[in-house]
Amino acid sequence: MVRFGPWLGYGTLAILALLVVLAWAGGALNWHREPSYVLARHWGEQGHGRGQFNNPTGIAVTADEVFVADAGNSRIQVFDKLGRYKRGFGSTVLGRPMNLAIAGDRLYVPDYFKDVIHVFTLDGEYRRAIEADDGLTSPGGVAVRPDGTLLIADTYGQRVVHLDPAGKRLESWNGRGIGPGAFNYPTDVAVALDGGFYVADGYNDRVLQFSRDGEFVHKWGGPFAMNIHGPFKGWFSVVTSVAVGPDGMVYVADFYNDRIQKFTPWGRFLTAFGTLSQGPAQSHVSVAVDADQTLWTVNSDASRVERWRP
Amino acid sequence: MVKKLSLSLAALAFSVVALAVDNHYILGVDGLACPFCAFGVEKRLTKVEGVTGIEVEVADGVVRVTLQEGKTLTEEQARQAVAEAGFTLRSFSVAKTGANDAQ
Repeated sequence: MVRFGPWLGYGTLAILALLVVLAWAGGALNWHREPSYVLARHWGEQGHGRGQFNNPTGIAVTADEVFVADAGNSRIQVFDKLGRYKRGFGSTVLGRPMNLAIAGDRLYVPDYFKDVIHVFTLDGEYRRAIEADDGLTSPGGVAVRPDGTLLIADTYGQRVVHLDPAGKRLESWNGRGIGPGAFNYPTDVAVALDGGFYVADGYNDRVLQFSRDGEFVHKWGGPFAMNIHGPFKGWFSVVTSVAVGPDGMVYVADFYNDRIQKFTPWGRFLTAFGTLSQGPAQSHVSVAVDADQTLWTVNSDASRVERWRP
Repeated sequence: MVKKLSLSLAALAFSVVALAVDNHYILGVDGLACPFCAFGVEKRLTKVEGVTGIEVEVADGVVRVTLQEGKTLTEEQARQAVAEAGFTLRSFSVAKTGANDAQ
């Protein structure tokens, strides 16, 4: 006569242990290590006039101004930090401006339709378009390294490409997939304090970290960061933007979860916050960080800019 | 004579409207809430000859396409453009009388 009692107990324990390991690997056992951020200010509404937006997709900030990629209206709008309209530009050259970057006195605008990176002065004067010598395919995000070279999330090209300011390709990280260093519609790039960079790997629901030399270092987002999406802490449901704060912390727009998540430079979850969408679209599509760690996002569903403070 | 002329004019007007009604199409595509997706579909449909307007309605999962008079969009063209953007065409229909009156 076989006794099933002990085996049933061992089996249950084994299943429980497996679930704990999986939950730990996926980050579901994380807890908030920092308080949530608070929504301090917002402005904007759906429309085509000044201070109105049509599918805003990108944001960047300087010490005293906020730049918004008003993609559906094919323009850039600029506001002061209180939300007062200052100027708009770009409507004669822009198709669909996406995740923005500011470096020095220049604004870099990836154009999803025209497959170039437009360069403007911060006053809105058009300088030039940077084309990759082997062509871009719907660039969704750009970051500028301290040496002036560009890292571009070439979204439909399924790659991240490193260009010199003239558009000459210095390096590229290619390939669609879920393995280390592969992408599934990358949407944005941000430069790390150590000279490396982070990639918002959009439809792989994860963030990839690369070293200063371009070596793959680390990935995070859900169990083993292998394209498993979900609402838990440290998981994502389509990553649409990534930004690095002055202290090196990493902020990620977790689009279908209507939230921003904050991580240490090595991907350890710190906190999450956001505005629930009223539908049919989702909330936070892009994120930028101020020098004083104030956080700025564009809310796609509500067509507005949001300012969050710790 | 006047009656004949009126009838001819009416028939001409009707035929012009009939030609124009073929210029609006309604494509069913799911999963377009993300701008990276919606713009991807929009970009590829814009490349179809004669397309003058595209509206993505996220709530209904619908893309409305307008073409110049005399130009047409075939279901195969629509399917290919949507597939190139990484999506599947769920439905395809011609609008009856304009972009707002779906079949």
